[in-house]
Amino acid sequence: MAKALSAIKWKHYVNYVVVAICTVVFGVMSLTGSLSSSSIYMLEKIAIAIMLAVSLSIVVGFLGELSLGHAGFMCVGAYLGGKTSALLEPLLGDVPTLLVSLVVGGLVAALFGVIIGLPALRLRGDYLAIVTLAFGEIVRSFFMNSSDESFGGSLGLNTPRYDKNTLFIIALVLVLGCLAVTQNLIRSKHGRAITSIRDNEIAARATGINVTKYKLMVFTISSFFAGIAGVLYSYSNFTVQSTKFSYNYSIEILVMVVLGGMGSINGSIIAATLITFLDMKLQTILTGNLAVLQDLFYALVLIVLVIYNNAPGLKSFRETYNLKSLLGKFKKGHDPSKVHDDEAKWDRVPTKIKMDEVLSVDLQTNSPYTPDKPGKGDR
Amino acid sequence: MNIFETLLNGLSMGSTYAMIALGYTMVYGIAKMLNFAHGDVIMVGGYMIFLTMASVGNPILGLAIAVVFCMLLGITIEKVAYKPLRGASPLAVLITAIGVSYLLQSTAQMIFGSAPKMVIVADLGNVMLGSIKLPVYTLVTLGCSFAIMIALSLFVKYTKIGRAMIAVSEDKGAAQLMGINVNGIITITFAIGSALAAFAGFFMLLKSPSLTNTLGAMPGIKAFTAAVIGGIGSIPGAMLGGILMGVVEAISLTIPAIAPYTDAIEFSILIIILLVRPSGILGKKRREKV
Amino acid sequence: MKSMFKKALAVLMAAAMLFSLAACGGANYTSENTEFIIGVSGPLTGGAAVYGVAVQNAAQMAIDEINAAGGLDGVMFKLIATDDTHDATKVAANYASMLEDGMQVSLGTVTTAPGLEYSKLSAEDNVFFLTPSASGDKIPEFDNGFQMCFADGNQGKVAAEYVNGVYKNDTIGIFYKSDDPYSNGIYKQFKENLDSSVKTVEAVFTDANATDFSAQITTLKDCKFIFMPIYYQPASIFMTQAKSTVAADAIYYGCDGFDGLAGQLDLSTITQEVSMLSHFDSNATEGAAADFVKKYTEKYKAETLNQFGASAYDCIYAIYNAMKAAKEAGKKIDVTISASDLSDILKEQFTGDFTYSGVTGTDISWEDNGYVVKGAVKYDLKKAD
Repeated sequence: MAKALSAIKWKHYVNYVVVAICTVVFGVMSLTGSLSSSSIYMLEKIAIAIMLAVSLSIVVGFLGELSLGHAGFMCVGAYLGGKTSALLEPLLGDVPTLLVSLVVGGLVAALFGVIIGLPALRLRGDYLAIVTLAFGEIVRSFFMNSSDESFGGSLGLNTPRYDKNTLFIIALVLVLGCLAVTQNLIRSKHGRAITSIRDNEIAARATGINVTKYKLMVFTISSFFAGIAGVLYSYSNFTVQSTKFSYNYSIEILVMVVLGGMGSINGSIIAATLITFLDMKLQTILTGNLAVLQDLFYALVLIVLVIYNNAPGLKSFRETYNLKSLLGKFKKGHDPSKVHDDEAKWDRVPTKIKMDEVLSVDLQTNSPYTPDKPGKGDR
Repeated sequence: MNIFETLLNGLSMGSTYAMIALGYTMVYGIAKMLNFAHGDVIMVGGYMIFLTMASVGNPILGLAIAVVFCMLLGITIEKVAYKPLRGASPLAVLITAIGVSYLLQSTAQMIFGSAPKMVIVADLGNVMLGSIKLPVYTLVTLGCSFAIMIALSLFVKYTKIGRAMIAVSEDKGAAQLMGINVNGIITITFAIGSALAAFAGFFMLLKSPSLTNTLGAMPGIKAFTAAVIGGIGSIPGAMLGGILMGVVEAISLTIPAIAPYTDAIEFSILIIILLVRPSGILGKKRREKV
Repeated sequence: MKSMFKKALAVLMAAAMLFSLAACGGANYTSENTEFIIGVSGPLTGGAAVYGVAVQNAAQMAIDEINAAGGLDGVMFKLIATDDTHDATKVAANYASMLEDGMQVSLGTVTTAPGLEYSKLSAEDNVFFLTPSASGDKIPEFDNGFQMCFADGNQGKVAAEYVNGVYKNDTIGIFYKSDDPYSNGIYKQFKENLDSSVKTVEAVFTDANATDFSAQITTLKDCKFIFMPIYYQPASIFMTQAKSTVAADAIYYGCDGFDGLAGQLDLSTITQEVSMLSHFDSNATEGAAADFVKKYTEKYKAETLNQFGASAYDCIYAIYNAMKAAKEAGKKIDVTISASDLSDILKEQFTGDFTYSGVTGTDISWEDNGYVVKGAVKYDLKKAD
């Protein structure tokens, strides 16, 4: 039994455990009425942000494509899910409506994910980024100019707000579901195929990986969860207003993914939590004339953190003064020379293969490996 | 009649977009980064012009001061925020660029307040072209952006620094081996890009005098779209893309049924063009690539 | 290594969050108050900041005056102004944090879009609000909401009646912002009430920071009358750009959003006539409005002077007067009164025969549904040359 337990790779489940503990602790606090409403709003926002960051992370961090249209998928989910819930609420009651609208919002967003995945087959890098940005703006413009009866137009769509004491619990449970799907995908053979596309598309194609299939798959799954996050958003607000879903919001989500570290789901979760927390605290603490400091503070934190985390010049500094080495000094029985008997951490191994080097072996005249050419031997 | 006027409006809007897009395309072509703060450098240039106009009242002096200040600002931003990240993931640079953008906007609001400033640069009046009134600023903006485009192309093609720029954009490592000071070239590129932003700020104020700390935000994104349509990294491409965006916008705004969807139409055109030509209209011609 | 740093940071943050979240809920937040706390949520940063800042300044000015005069029987007032950047999703957090800081009565939001969220949130807890400038028709949807500004629908209707009288069988131009609730709200009511004999030419814009209206000007250049239900900032750009293109004797006609125009644009540089239908004119030279203009420009910069501020100033005084009147009528209002109790008292006052005279009108009263009843005046900001 103990052996079976120790055989489980706990580090793979640590995020489920943390999210689940948070859900239970805050859930109990909320139901016993000891959670203030600003805390409840914060938890809702954090849950939504985590879902958005994790779902974007599989596109940006694992597939390696830059998407600036994530808010567009969320917009689709929020409007479609919100409309569904507004229509069904009087007929079905709370819980069935929630389920139906989650499915509707998620599926329609996923459909748009397929549509956006198609140009992703042809475009790369910044070109794809600007196309996704354009997509987000087009979607937003459509809802913005919709008629009052359909999606509320400029006044926004009125949606029923779910009971605020329980909505964040539902959202956190959905976050667990999102984590389960994405992490199982990433840790499967499909996940390895996806990362290989990120590292070298040509090489991946050459090894028989169906690039088309995987690209579409990632975009679909990612936009599905963005749609779910959108539905949750519509439930956490009385109105869904299209101004929210501008490219600025997509960038906010991207910031979470990049700050968390590319290709790290735990990083995305932590960054989403931190940024949402910081954002909301700044907004409510810096009132009145101090409000102008919010963006300033946010910007400085952003620049400093990114430079600290990524600057090649600071690498040695980071390695000397990080918490691990500082903590390591106090750790008993820690033997740095002991090699972990863990198999290769494939997500850490630099897999960037320089295809050119592999494919074209340069012929060097004096190399012993270069076959002699006829008529060139003795001179 | 109306069609002709609409086209002229389009040219006028487009030449502003083109001027911003030129800055984007220079920086992107060489440093290979999306400088999201470019639009905000335009705003800073605008405030410099405002300050000079308020104290001295000479718009040309204002432009000169704005150009110098923006160049210094561009170099500072590059040294402080982007240079430490050379060699890191391009996305990290993108995020610091966004940080710099927020920083500039909030600093501007702290210094200049939230109320828009009115900066009447110069009233150039109209010329009559047959029975059509043609605002002079349209001609000035259009002429200047063409002149700048040609000057940039010549600079890149025929000067030593310009050729070094091409080399850096082709292959940083190889350029360094050939004895080119890559960091220096990138700094120069930022200086040029920021100077172009100051010009863009000047022409935006010439056209309409309202100045806020978000002056460059949306035009920046539109101009970036224009640069991508034209083929990012290509100088004539930026010009072409800018003009195209302007004309499409003007036409779309004149038709009441589709006017509210103008942004959507512009972005749809981007998507269609990229689907047909994945690297923009003129993106393939490497010869002109900076 | 990197992730280790982050993990430790995350643990620290989680601990900090637990502390801050554990701040107990459900209690009566006002029990510790030593002053009456008035809250407002508005755009203090971002593209719409000038409106939020105007409200914050003027409300603070009114509160300073009231406090200097001894407050309400010795109890001072305090303003909390939170920043929503004109974004509806930030309102819930602002509202909750203000409530937890002891807010007893509020000015709602400055702009309409976040106000739609605010009105529903405050209705749940029964927190009274009197908004200076969120003019959406649906803002006073619940019984705790009141407006100091005219509702959009009413403005559109009054403007249409004016146009029907003067421009029968004529063609007029309309220039509005199609994605803005304020502009769109007025536009829709205007079109609905417009006589069918009046033909219209329409031009729109969508970008809040648009600076180039040449295409729209080309569309509208032959109109002799242009109805512009937009805020003064884009209006000033339009007028500057259009001064030599639109006919020299054309009339620009706006709603209360036009106020503040004179601070932006030297109206003598354009030839067209500019008038607006509003409750306040920042160029006022006599009466309460002139006093306000003088005080405001002495204390703050004139560039943020507009009807938003004037209206906010009135809101504070109206709430103060209503509280005072209720107290005189024997209602119990002490400094720790809960938001809900105060709301019941104020609702009774505002739907009763309470009237208020101030900067934006005299003998202002309120309908039972929260709409304001006061005179709208057509101000000629500038006569045609």
